[in-house]
Amino acid sequence: MSLTGYEVEVERRGSAGLTTEEMTLNMGPQHPSTHGVLRFVVKADGEVMIEAIPDVGYLHRSIEKIAEKVGYHGFMPYTDRVDYIAAMFCNQGWGMVCERLAGIEVPKRGEYCRVIAAEFNRIASHLLSVGTMVLDIGAATPFFHAFRERERINDLLEELCGARLTYNYMRIGGVAWDLPPGFAEKSLAFLDQFEPLLDEFNDLITLNKLYIERVADVAVISAEEAINYNLVGPNLRGSGVKYDVRCDLAYSVYPELEFDVPVGCGEEGTVGDCFDRYIVRIREIKESVKILRQCFKQMPDGPVIAKVPRKFKPPAGDAYVRVESARGDMGWYAVSDGTEFPYRCRIRTGSFSGISIVDKVSRGLMLADLVAVIASLDIVAPEIDR
Amino acid sequence: MQGFLDRLMAQGYFAGVPAEVVYAIGMVGFGLVVVLGFILTVAGVTTFVERRVWARIQSRVGPNRVGPQGILQWLADGIKLVMKEDVVPHDADPRLFRLAPYVVTMGFVATFVVIPFTGQLVIADMNVGILYLTAVTALVVVGILMAGWGSNNKWSLIGGIRSAAQIVSYEIPAGLSIFPVVLLTGTLSMQGTIQAQGWAPYHWFVFNSPFTFAAFFILFISILAEGNRTPFDLPEAETELVAGFVTEYSGVRYLMFFLVEWGNLYVIGALMTTLYLGGWQIPPVTSNAVVQNVLQFLTFFLKSYFWVLVAMWIRATLPRVRVDQLMTTCWKYLVPIAFLNLIGQAVWIVLFPDGSRLAQALMTLLGFGIIGYFFYRVVFHLRRARPQMQFSPLS
Amino acid sequence: MRKSSYIGNIVSTATTVFEGLAVTFSHFVRKPFTVQYPDRTDLRVQDTLPFRYRGILEVDLEICTGCLACERACPIDCIVIDAKKDPQTKAMLLTRFDIDLAKCMYCGLCSEPCPTGSIHHTPEFEGADYSLESLVRRFVQEPVVAYKPKKGAEDDPEILPLLERGLRYVDEFATPESKKAGAAAES
Repeated sequence: MSLTGYEVEVERRGSAGLTTEEMTLNMGPQHPSTHGVLRFVVKADGEVMIEAIPDVGYLHRSIEKIAEKVGYHGFMPYTDRVDYIAAMFCNQGWGMVCERLAGIEVPKRGEYCRVIAAEFNRIASHLLSVGTMVLDIGAATPFFHAFRERERINDLLEELCGARLTYNYMRIGGVAWDLPPGFAEKSLAFLDQFEPLLDEFNDLITLNKLYIERVADVAVISAEEAINYNLVGPNLRGSGVKYDVRCDLAYSVYPELEFDVPVGCGEEGTVGDCFDRYIVRIREIKESVKILRQCFKQMPDGPVIAKVPRKFKPPAGDAYVRVESARGDMGWYAVSDGTEFPYRCRIRTGSFSGISIVDKVSRGLMLADLVAVIASLDIVAPEIDR
Repeated sequence: MQGFLDRLMAQGYFAGVPAEVVYAIGMVGFGLVVVLGFILTVAGVTTFVERRVWARIQSRVGPNRVGPQGILQWLADGIKLVMKEDVVPHDADPRLFRLAPYVVTMGFVATFVVIPFTGQLVIADMNVGILYLTAVTALVVVGILMAGWGSNNKWSLIGGIRSAAQIVSYEIPAGLSIFPVVLLTGTLSMQGTIQAQGWAPYHWFVFNSPFTFAAFFILFISILAEGNRTPFDLPEAETELVAGFVTEYSGVRYLMFFLVEWGNLYVIGALMTTLYLGGWQIPPVTSNAVVQNVLQFLTFFLKSYFWVLVAMWIRATLPRVRVDQLMTTCWKYLVPIAFLNLIGQAVWIVLFPDGSRLAQALMTLLGFGIIGYFFYRVVFHLRRARPQMQFSPLS
Repeated sequence: MRKSSYIGNIVSTATTVFEGLAVTFSHFVRKPFTVQYPDRTDLRVQDTLPFRYRGILEVDLEICTGCLACERACPIDCIVIDAKKDPQTKAMLLTRFDIDLAKCMYCGLCSEPCPTGSIHHTPEFEGADYSLESLVRRFVQEPVVAYKPKKGAEDDPEILPLLERGLRYVDEFATPESKKAGAAAES
């Protein structure tokens, strides 16, 4: 019985009297480096891959269907679980789509709180992404250093909203808690000691020749291909396309903040290779630090949440909202039929398109490169399957 | 060992026993002492030390609960592995699968026959010692291939084949880097090589000439590759192949592979020390034979263990190389440079038959200069990360 | 574009590896970041958690008003309350208040609408137990009269501290009218 629907064929090729076979390997759902529960059926000729077919669905939890049962307010904790590494962005996406359905405006201070939480989460998510990428390539130490910094960010967010991973910080109309006293000092102290550590991380692994040899010129995705395959976020920017939802379709208070959008330029290989995607993430961490410092300086006083009725009944209609999550442009679509429960909720995530390109770029790569490719595309399984 | 036993017989012990029997029993007995007492302990403690060293590099603590400071952790791990169920995968080749760990262990333990502990204590100081060492470590390849194929697991097979290619390829630059030393001493015996060096750093072979200096680094890289250590640990690349050729092993068989990997570090250290760092040579401070032997043992052990620590440190720092990059490094970089080294060293010996004091002094200065610059960079990094060191976790 | 010269490769490998080794060596003299929970910490970890920490739920039944706001707010329906008006005394009687901790996802949506803060999160997180049934916390052993908030200040000395703590917990939540200066005033 074929489990994926892909028939396993044994191809025998004879050349000069030597018959060779293709190997069909199963990089199964239990594997130390597939970033969640993913499965790849790899057809390889020795070390060189011929095909790498992804098999997704192991983490499907019917989150979109659950939205139709729990209602608008009750769905907010579920959005944390859609992508638990960048949970604040999912919260923000759902909050924004409900606000657009009902025409609610979030007060200024609430928007600033949202941006602060989101940018901290972006740093944490990128730290995890680059940490696991270098771990897959073989270096164990930078992974722990990245996670040490992530722990500090989690401590800060724990003070802010009470949880370390599934924050449930934002509500429809704003955020649930204001910044606690002393939060700004702690955050700025953290940022001050974090920036030199990023340089240390670069000294340790990013500039390391062995590492660059592993990731440069591997899995080059051209800008055209990236757009055709619907890649978003650092994957798209790594291929040279300067597109960031925070700048191009500005939402929240991002128009008032000054920051650059790093784009891959092929400094260690060609534009669009794994190294570009990796270095874009490192540079985005620096940009997020800049954004955070500006937010703490510019935050106005005032309420942080707008008045929203307990029984939230937006008028019938639909709304589509885009948020620049750590993994790229995340789309949130909600259809309301006038009752307390949404008629349909649909989430469009960046990892889903990321995994669709794995098969295309891994033709001709080695088995060791497959791991580098998956890690550089920052694929997290819960986002793919929801 | 033979000389030691001869001296004992001359003093009247073992009267009435034929000499060959004394030699046989003495060597085998000492071999058993070495294997059970030294190898098992050192390999076991090395696993513990590696975990603590790794942990400190990674800003965490490592195992520290079992026994004071966790020093009995390796015993606990060993006992746990011994008590595990004996699992042989379905459709695995029954004989190859079961035999592989023991072939690998054989290849590893046999190297200890020629490794000297002190000036007199070595199981057998063969006159082809170094050649014997390189030959016997190649047995490990056979064992790994058996493990890879016999596991009936495609990932193990890939791991086994990678390892075979790796070890066989890196024998060449390793051998080529041993030859400059052989040219200097004219003998292949381990004790002979150590006796040709002196106790002071500028008498060590590493600082003898620029060519031995370069050969030192090439040898270190090659033996790391032979020992399947990062950055060359593809056969057991955790994140790619789960555990490479040892995926299907558990229990005592896994313990054997484990032991060989960590014990091999000591063999690497011993080889580096013997060939390039003066072995057990100590300054002439005492004439008491027992004290001399103890000091020599400590010198040799500490020098070898230093390289064990360096190998662990490198493993914590560097990423893995890919298979084709591994082959490129070996055949396009290390082998040509090792050849040129060998020719250069031969020319050097013709030019300076008794060695050049100036060159030795310069190389010693260069060596210590590199170490000094290294500590300068360490201090730079510490200064830059000073704010982080004062930041403590919230709880 | 990468340098791909032979000597360049060797030199850059050597220098970058050297730099990396210096960084890792410098970590030997730094203090580890590990918190050796649970036995080698200075304080109990639960005491070091922030006030807003969303641990295991607890209900102070003395100040529960029986408004059922938490039951309605919970998205998983893990709170079950039976409250009905007693026909003789005309007071609200709570006969059942069960929270199924196996289902709870610690989202905090129940403690937000509570008027007195009787249902709140504690810093306790060690809730592992041996059976699934023991995870259903039943807070009502015998029927309890619900709390009626007094017009003036509360004068019962047993209820006052509970009420203060509960209101402090609820005050942490932002409200649309709050003009709390928050961090901006502190800095």
